[in-house]
Amino acid sequence: MSEATVPETAGGASPARTEPHHLRRAVLLWIVLSILGIAIWLVVAQFILPTEITDAGAFDNLTIVVFTVLAIPVAMFVWVFLGYSLFVFRTRERPTQDGIRMQPRLGVQVGWLGVTSILCLFLVIWGMFGLYQETSAASNDTLIVQVTGQQWLWTFYYPKYQISSAGQVLELPVNQPVQFEVTSKDVLHGFSIQALGVRVDANPGQTTTTQVVTPTAVGDYQVVCVELCGLYHTFMWSAVRVVSQTDFNAWIQSLGGQP
Amino acid sequence: MSVAATTDVGVHVKRRGFFQLLFPSVFSGIILGVIGAAVCGIIVSHIVSPPTPDVIDYTNDSTAVAVYAGWTIFFFIGIGAFNGIIKWGFGRKEPTLAEEQDLAGKDQGFWRYFRYTTDHKVVGMQYLATVLFTFLLGSLGAFSIRLEQSQPGALFFTPSTYNTIVGMHGILMIASTIIMVSGPFGNFILPIMIGARDMAFPRLNALSYWLLFTALPVFLSTLFLGGFQTGWTGYAPLADQGGPGQDAYAFTIILFALSTTIAAVNIVTTVLILRTKGMTWGRLPVFVWGVLLSVVLGLTAFPAFFTSQIMVLMDRVFQTSFFIGTMGGSNWVYEHLFWFMGHPEVYVIALPSLAIAAEIASVFARKPLFGYRLMVSGLVGITVLSFIVWGHHLYTSGSEAAIGGPFMLDTELISIPTGVVFLVLVGTLWRGKIWVTVPLLFVVGLLVNFVIGGITGLYLADVPTDEILHGGMFVVAHFHFTLVGSMVFGFMAGFYYWFPKMVGKRLDPFLGKLHFWLFEIGFVGTFSALFYAGLEGEARWQASVPPEYAVPNLIASLFAILIAASVFTLIYNVVMTLVRGEKAEANEWGAKTLEWTVPTPVPLENFEELPVITSDPYNYGEPEAEEATVGAAPAKAELQTEG
Repeated sequence: MSEATVPETAGGASPARTEPHHLRRAVLLWIVLSILGIAIWLVVAQFILPTEITDAGAFDNLTIVVFTVLAIPVAMFVWVFLGYSLFVFRTRERPTQDGIRMQPRLGVQVGWLGVTSILCLFLVIWGMFGLYQETSAASNDTLIVQVTGQQWLWTFYYPKYQISSAGQVLELPVNQPVQFEVTSKDVLHGFSIQALGVRVDANPGQTTTTQVVTPTAVGDYQVVCVELCGLYHTFMWSAVRVVSQTDFNAWIQSLGGQP
Repeated sequence: MSVAATTDVGVHVKRRGFFQLLFPSVFSGIILGVIGAAVCGIIVSHIVSPPTPDVIDYTNDSTAVAVYAGWTIFFFIGIGAFNGIIKWGFGRKEPTLAEEQDLAGKDQGFWRYFRYTTDHKVVGMQYLATVLFTFLLGSLGAFSIRLEQSQPGALFFTPSTYNTIVGMHGILMIASTIIMVSGPFGNFILPIMIGARDMAFPRLNALSYWLLFTALPVFLSTLFLGGFQTGWTGYAPLADQGGPGQDAYAFTIILFALSTTIAAVNIVTTVLILRTKGMTWGRLPVFVWGVLLSVVLGLTAFPAFFTSQIMVLMDRVFQTSFFIGTMGGSNWVYEHLFWFMGHPEVYVIALPSLAIAAEIASVFARKPLFGYRLMVSGLVGITVLSFIVWGHHLYTSGSEAAIGGPFMLDTELISIPTGVVFLVLVGTLWRGKIWVTVPLLFVVGLLVNFVIGGITGLYLADVPTDEILHGGMFVVAHFHFTLVGSMVFGFMAGFYYWFPKMVGKRLDPFLGKLHFWLFEIGFVGTFSALFYAGLEGEARWQASVPPEYAVPNLIASLFAILIAASVFTLIYNVVMTLVRGEKAEANEWGAKTLEWTVPTPVPLENFEELPVITSDPYNYGEPEAEEATVGAAPAKAELQTEG
């Protein structure tokens, strides 16, 4: 049976006048629930998004908020039409009649493809913009920290002061750009400080340079290993302390370096 | 139990006594396989010189690999895979009808399920039983994980045991989901659906199943060899470090990749050449499209995985250094090989499940698909794009920052064909006469969960956000939403849908609905909690939950109890149905695809007369088309093109 011989009925054009206008109802429901969903998300997001103390991290949080706002109408579209179908068009017994023959009209197809393509294009452009922001080169005042992973601990070396941190603690001065050079002695490790928005694999025999980030809030954070690296992978974490410049200088001095 | 005795000297075609039943069968295979394994192991462990102190001890690894190779080869000799090759090979002699039917398990009753049987229906049932078994094993792993993660600190397992459990759970479930549709339904249902009497290569079909069977003991042997520490991804160089348990992992993958590759070749050939008259590409049921595209994808993807594990074994046994950075190798080689399989693989899993969903949506809405061509082009679009998205697993690998942009584009593009599939499925249900059955409930569950799985994928596809989520629980929750919440739900829909045809009995619908609701609520609860934990920064693979993530993990573990209850409901339902279920009708659901036109149980050669197809199987709402779908076979009807 070719599609041409079949009367093409669009999504909701009701064949009988006595029936309620299903399409209109479903669309109305969809709009209401989407707005409601977005409103709820904007409130909830305040509480569940992770703490980020760099521009890169803040941009990641913004990305999550924006993507979710875009995604809620899409999800609601599927759920509302699905739920509406199930509740309104269900039959109590095994149906004896067939449903209405429908084929998607060209407009529906083009419209659907168009909307999804535009959304997709937006996501790509947004992502490219985010990627571009990460490419800023290290300036003279950037603090370089060489990070070495090994089973199962991290070592942090500050070439500027020619010292290694003791007790696997990473201290960073607040409001100072910092860049990590990450490598590994044995197997793959994953160097991750979520609060800074920094995450990169530590590869044996290779040094990977991260983006330059500037922590903007004093506090205690964590380096976590995010690639399975064997037996004690779970316990391969270090404390990150973002402190004021004077505290940082004192800490460098206590390790024998010249601030 | 006896086949008409002939004077032929063939091994099978003889009067059958007790020993003829055992030899060849899976039991003779196991006996010979164990003997072969022991002999090969002993020989190799004596040949390989003991290690000098400055070299890593590799005797265990070479012995382990020898044992596995011996087991595999001698198992196949024992089960009779090579019987008749000399006689029939090289075109010297054609097998007679009696011989072929004997190979296909004619008149062998239940015993045919334990032999090297070529009948596609037997292979399908073997696959189904195996998949359910491996799912059960994998879910035991899952519940162990949730138990361990319910509280911070080491509760039940050492980190070593925990890592092994996570890895075994992962690879078991991945392997099971890869074959869960194209194995059972692709073998049992697909040939009938296209109007064929069997698969194109019946003996390869048996080979593909029994390769899977030989992989199972190899895999489980890792439990006695210290397990493996790498998780399901088997990342090298960590894989180069571990004990012989790692060899078990690598060899399992080799056998599994062989099995799926052979099955894929078979399915592709079957669909290409064995379609009945009038079964044009435009009338092919969507399920056939889904399985076909899935195995085509698998054909290109799995060799990469196969190769990577051979290289790991070379590193371990012959001391090469493909993946050891300090000796000129690169771990990125492994990562790319692995994910070149690893991403297409999720679409290998997804395509047939989405196709099942389309099949079922049309039947239970009593409506044609909302755009047959749209659905097929959606599936084709996903297939093509999924070849070029593997790099998104390597955004943070540090291998090359420039790959981020293109792979982000490809990955996000794939949401367009996926959106088309959603449009078709939702559009098919819209304004139907919806008969809410268990299969349909699972399709609805698939759609609900797949929306969440798909949307959370967007954050991971975006390179900057991936940098706060990669390697965390968010990823875990995301792929469980797609693989379990969507694709396993699709498998379950197919299971409830085709069970009456495959087994001939009717599953209890009340227990089926209970299974669905327990599974859906438990599943969404568990993995929503893990989404939250991941967003807050909990890393993956943690043997002990850090205290700050205790609450979401406890919630996840509590919801997992519901999933466990759903598993027991399913087992109870299947067992009780097998014991005393009602007999199902030949066309249990009033569907129009060909598998419902044949009697239950399906006869050995499926059709008395091959049907001729005049329309696609979704022509609901056209009374005059009811009878036109399947006509009697006119002797020389011309192949009809789509009109």
